[in-house]
Amino acid sequence: MKNNQPSSKAILLLISLMLTTGFISACSSNSPEKQTNAPTQSPANNSSTGNDEPKEAVSGDADPFGKYETPLAIRFTRDVDNDTQDNIIPKTPGETIEDNRWLKAFTEKLGINVTYDWTVSTGDAYTQKMNVTLTSGDLPDMLRVTPAQMKQLAEADLIEDLTPYWEQYASDDLKELYAEQGPAVLNSAEVNGKIMGIGKADVYGDGVYLWIRKDWLDKLNLPEPTSLQDVLKISEAFTTQDPDGNKVNDTYGLALTKDLYGGAMGLEGFFAGYHAYPNMWIDDGSGNLVWGSTLPEVKESLKALSEMYKAGQLDKEFGVKDGGKVAESVAAGKIGIDFGAQWNPMYPLISNYQNDPNANWVGYSLVSVDGKPALSPQRFQADSYWVVRKGFSNPEALIKMFNLHVELNWGKTGDFDYYYMPAANDSVGVWKYSPVQPASAFKNIRAFQEIEEARKNNSFDSLTGEALAIYRNIKAFEEGDASQWGWPKIYGAEGVYRHGVNYMDNERFMYEKFAGPPTETMAERKSTLEALEKETFVKIIMGAAPLDDFDKFVDNWYKVGGTDITKEVNEWYATTK
Amino acid sequence: MIELNIKKLKRELPLNLMILPGFIFIILFSYVPMAGIIIAFQRFIPAKRLFGDQQWVGLKNFKYVMSLPNFDNILWNTFYIASLKVILGLVVPIVIALLLNEMKHVLLKRSIQTAIYLPHFLSWVVLGGIFIDILSPTNGLVNTLLNKLGLNSIFFLGDNKWFPYTMILTDTWKDFGYGTIIYLAALTGINPNLYEAAQMDGANRWKQTIHISLPGIQMVIVLLMVLSLGNLLNAGFDQIFNMYSPMVYESGDILDTFVYRIGLLDAQFGVATAVGLFKSVIALILVSTSYYFAYKFADYRIF
Repeated sequence: MKNNQPSSKAILLLISLMLTTGFISACSSNSPEKQTNAPTQSPANNSSTGNDEPKEAVSGDADPFGKYETPLAIRFTRDVDNDTQDNIIPKTPGETIEDNRWLKAFTEKLGINVTYDWTVSTGDAYTQKMNVTLTSGDLPDMLRVTPAQMKQLAEADLIEDLTPYWEQYASDDLKELYAEQGPAVLNSAEVNGKIMGIGKADVYGDGVYLWIRKDWLDKLNLPEPTSLQDVLKISEAFTTQDPDGNKVNDTYGLALTKDLYGGAMGLEGFFAGYHAYPNMWIDDGSGNLVWGSTLPEVKESLKALSEMYKAGQLDKEFGVKDGGKVAESVAAGKIGIDFGAQWNPMYPLISNYQNDPNANWVGYSLVSVDGKPALSPQRFQADSYWVVRKGFSNPEALIKMFNLHVELNWGKTGDFDYYYMPAANDSVGVWKYSPVQPASAFKNIRAFQEIEEARKNNSFDSLTGEALAIYRNIKAFEEGDASQWGWPKIYGAEGVYRHGVNYMDNERFMYEKFAGPPTETMAERKSTLEALEKETFVKIIMGAAPLDDFDKFVDNWYKVGGTDITKEVNEWYATTK
Repeated sequence: MIELNIKKLKRELPLNLMILPGFIFIILFSYVPMAGIIIAFQRFIPAKRLFGDQQWVGLKNFKYVMSLPNFDNILWNTFYIASLKVILGLVVPIVIALLLNEMKHVLLKRSIQTAIYLPHFLSWVVLGGIFIDILSPTNGLVNTLLNKLGLNSIFFLGDNKWFPYTMILTDTWKDFGYGTIIYLAALTGINPNLYEAAQMDGANRWKQTIHISLPGIQMVIVLLMVLSLGNLLNAGFDQIFNMYSPMVYESGDILDTFVYRIGLLDAQFGVATAVGLFKSVIALILVSTSYYFAYKFADYRIF
């Protein structure tokens, strides 16, 4: 029998729950809250006009690290990830989310007392809870919101313009950090030319790499890949020549999931081999932005993939398997090639090693079909921005906290071994205790360079900070701690960052050019277009649709909303030039 | 007269108090949220609050949803999968209940009853993963069996021809135990004298089933049928969300998964509410008419 409980209506339940909360608080606050709310707003700000002048800081000058004489209480919200819950809190006795070394540092050094209105687990839960909070109207002083929420808040005139505060209060280190991957990182938070929020500095990530099982290469006497043709040959050999030696034809070449794209087991790195950059906005060479998935290079890559599928080099069932399921195949030693980020040894590759100590995954740089270097595709993945509630007395406090976070971790007066990954606490990432967490996109590659330098000189005593913490993990692996297998794969002498350095030095990155909040039509049509794209691509790869359906897809894509989105995206692009 | 009423009220006071929490619950979680229906007619921005300065857009959200490519297809998928689920969800439990009712071996009967009831408690997140493995065309249990019988493998979750039926069958498998128990309970309520009398008159098992068992549980059948008609646009979000993939959007994308993608992922609350309202109105009409017909033809009434 069909169950009549609303259990099968998960969404509607969620929405109605959200509405209930909103409704109740709205009801209860209809008359009284307007009065209770008013005093907390600064008088100068009661009307929506005249906000252009930055408010005076309590300390009076624009010192990036100036301490407030009278302690300033700031209301935050925050999410707590599994790492914090399972590793960091247990390894730091006496510290909690509400009371820890970072919050103490903010109090002692800046005179800022952080409190949390609420804490929830990471991910959807946070976004949902934030939506409820926004609907309730009782905003905390500083909020971490999605790009869409930021745009809505800005248009409803509910958050402060941070432009003057950024200019006056951001420390040199902080400004440098946000310039590392181009001006778009900071400008993406602009609404009508004003910076309304501060996002992540490392929003683009630091590279897509090619991971291959070196033990299989050696066994089949294959050379390391220098071109995409090599990769295709390796994929064929991994499928047909029984690399695992079990006399059963049960191995595949390339790992891929039904989502096609992703930081692990994704296809972006493969596409880049054909100089195709699907799933992101790129410059078409004439100064106009175009959706990468619609370009002819993508068709070529799909052709290659469908041939691989036909030859049995791809899992016949990848079309129904998500990342978790494909990771099971990787763990079971069925797959030999994986395109993904530097962290892939931590997930999912280590699970392969845990089942089979011979599994030796090695990272290579991306290769191309024509000798022209493949660029590493870097999507703009801003998922959140920090914004300040309209009317809060000291918006600059947010910038100061960003300054302090950078300074205490990587600055001259900092103490990495206390504030970031202290050895005294088993090197867990206590930096997550800080509500704001800006970090350099290239700090990991730089740490690798330091370790590499030390390796050359054979003097590891000089290592400090992050490089030292990482070196300790590599050493732990060499001394038999198998759980640290991933570290040498990334930072070791044969580590993937050998190629990361090359990427960084030679600018081998294809940065996504659109970095703004979702445009009008994008908000409406994004999921429809995404569904169309994935359905078509998966079908073409599986041979369920002819390759020429790609051309139909391009037509459809433009018809269903792509034309408008492209126009809006280019309008945004024009404002950034 | 008044005195009598007071007495009656006094006597029934505990009963009335017992229903109060449920009553409050319904008011709070079913009626109060209905105020949120207004969102369906707005360009809703959460930060501006529910009764705040939202922009009214009339029927734009509805028009927008209907204008989306594939909407007809999605509506059809929803209706098709849901109605087959409703039909099987009615027929299978009745048949199984009647068969179980005929079993003499009490222990075996009870064991079967429990065994078929168990899947009802498993979540689709878990079952989804299990079914992907069991139904795998390369090394899944079902296809290995088919191959042994000399048949070709079927990609149950990746083939548009098979996907809807896979959904319908697995859903029925999961929930038929629940319905069976209701019918079994109804069957035990039938007066045994009726069967004895029928035996005297020479009715065999089949005749007894047709003339005593089925009419005996007729009311329960009608009740469940009326209620399940409200589900004609509920094709089962949990199940399909956990088992579908881009390959089977064509045959498996339903209103709820669609709303999930455009409503929650893209934060278009107005559109999501509009679809929810659309579904509720259709369900209301279906339940009301079926209730009317049940009253007219089977003389059945809940109220």
